[in-house]
Amino acid sequence: MNSIEVDHLTKKFGDFTAVNEISFQVKEGEIFGFLGANGAGKTTAIKMMSGLLQPTSGTAIVAGYDVVTQPKLIKRNIGYMSQRFSLYNDLTVFENMQLFGTIYKIPRKELKKRIMDSLAALDMTKQANLLVHSIPLGWKQKLAFATAILHKPKIVFLDEPTSGVDPIVRREFWNLIYETASTGVTILVTTHYMDEAEYCHRISIMADGNIRLLGTPEELKQQVGVNTINDVFVEYVKH
Amino acid sequence: MILKKEFIHIFRDRITLLLVLAMPVALVLLFGFTISTDIHNASIAVLDHAKDTQSQNFIQKLSSSNYFQIVSYPSTEAEIDFQFKENNIKLAIIIPQNFESQLEKEHSATIQIIDDVSDLNIASILNNYVRSVTQDFQNEYNQHITSADAFSITTKMEYNSNMESVYMFVPGIITLIMILVTALMSSITLAREKETGTMRMLFITPVNKIHIVIGKVIPYMIISFLSTIVIIIISVFVFKMPLNGSILFLLLLCIIFMLTAASFGMLISTISTTQLDAMMITMMGLFLPTVLLSGFLFPLNSMPMIFQVLANVFPAKWFILAIKDVMIKGSGFFDVWPYLTILFGMAVVFISISLKMLDKRN
Repeated sequence: MNSIEVDHLTKKFGDFTAVNEISFQVKEGEIFGFLGANGAGKTTAIKMMSGLLQPTSGTAIVAGYDVVTQPKLIKRNIGYMSQRFSLYNDLTVFENMQLFGTIYKIPRKELKKRIMDSLAALDMTKQANLLVHSIPLGWKQKLAFATAILHKPKIVFLDEPTSGVDPIVRREFWNLIYETASTGVTILVTTHYMDEAEYCHRISIMADGNIRLLGTPEELKQQVGVNTINDVFVEYVKH
Repeated sequence: MILKKEFIHIFRDRITLLLVLAMPVALVLLFGFTISTDIHNASIAVLDHAKDTQSQNFIQKLSSSNYFQIVSYPSTEAEIDFQFKENNIKLAIIIPQNFESQLEKEHSATIQIIDDVSDLNIASILNNYVRSVTQDFQNEYNQHITSADAFSITTKMEYNSNMESVYMFVPGIITLIMILVTALMSSITLAREKETGTMRMLFITPVNKIHIVIGKVIPYMIISFLSTIVIIIISVFVFKMPLNGSILFLLLLCIIFMLTAASFGMLISTISTTQLDAMMITMMGLFLPTVLLSGFLFPLNSMPMIFQVLANVFPAKWFILAIKDVMIKGSGFFDVWPYLTILFGMAVVFISISLKMLDKRN
């Protein structure tokens, strides 16, 4: 069962083609790595898939809904976490989760239970009433992830979720991603850390608005004839 | 929920809270009290209905103080009005008929003071001077007689309400506060969400953009509305500003202007990417023109034509025209509806442009 089906998706800004007829499918519960240099078109592609931006042509079916005609239904069924930490610093941990939970119309009692459960899973129950700006960055990232999946989305978009956190927290973060994917949630993740790309089930490499390579990390390494995804990336992005 | 969140932001950010709550009070008192402090030889007129010994003594006392210079002795109240309109006098004093006999028989008399309210500071200072002169006069009189015959003089103040340019500073401050709190704060708060990346988070949720914007702007509208009420209360009770129109209509007028200010703030936030941008653009593009071109500090009709034309673009001018009419002349909806229509039209235009820009950007 595919949870994302992208078909010849294109976005033009005037004469500039940001995304050029990309096509791919992502299966339910898959961790899909979305790689590419800065300006390759990743963010534009993610914006189209999450219903924020209308494509110029082509189609994308996300969580069973069409991005052109049903963006609202898509928004309800996806979660998003951005590269920059994007929760409110002057709200407490609990208030942040409550705000986003309320936006997704989770009933009050159920919401409280979900928040307490996910804080317990992160071992952050004691921090529930701390202001977000007072907790370390690594914890904030985990908290942002927990917030992004609070409304039980079918797909989670992670836009460079581990930027600037230490290797231990990155490892913990990927454990969270694996746990979430194992419950059937599809993960689409962009990253600049090539060792993280190796953790993905499949990856795609974008350059100049096109998908240049697509496959499992092993397949890509064989195809290019190098030993690491880092080498694959460097090889393909320099062209 | 975005509304609630915004209130939490405001209350957590103590400095902003202090700023938006304390500023209106500070401004209104500052403008009201501190401009001039000491006056010598103010031109006054004395209308002496009594023309007896005591009234002559009193006038003597007035002119021998160096506070006043009596420039005319009108014989009717209409003449006083004329002198005010010609800007010849700052204050007029009316001595009642039978001043002397009132003092002797009833041991009390009332002297009437008419102020020029186009400058409240001077008016209130001159009032105090008249009182002190009256007090001196009274003490001297009482020294020469037995206590049974002691008398008192009370002063009764009356504002000259025929003046056209009166009370400019109250509508002006209400305008400034609403621009500062509503336009500046809403442009800053929207730009802040863009700057920190939380705006993207909100846009990716199923909440409508318009709900996000409304939820973020309403708290500042409520705060500036409360500030406006405080200013009106201070103006009416401390500075004795007349409130001849309907208070409800006045508040409605304020709400419409707030909407215009908030929509201007929204527009600014869509073209700025950081809080600093938003602040600079609001200050230069809205606050300064409001101070300079609203007719609040500098009379518009003495400006070069180009500025008079330019002033029409900014909402402040229309609001000040409307609020002055309502407070001083007691105008109602049918008198000021053109101003209201302009303000409302501006709000509609600004809001639709900013929504369109928001759509384009994301």
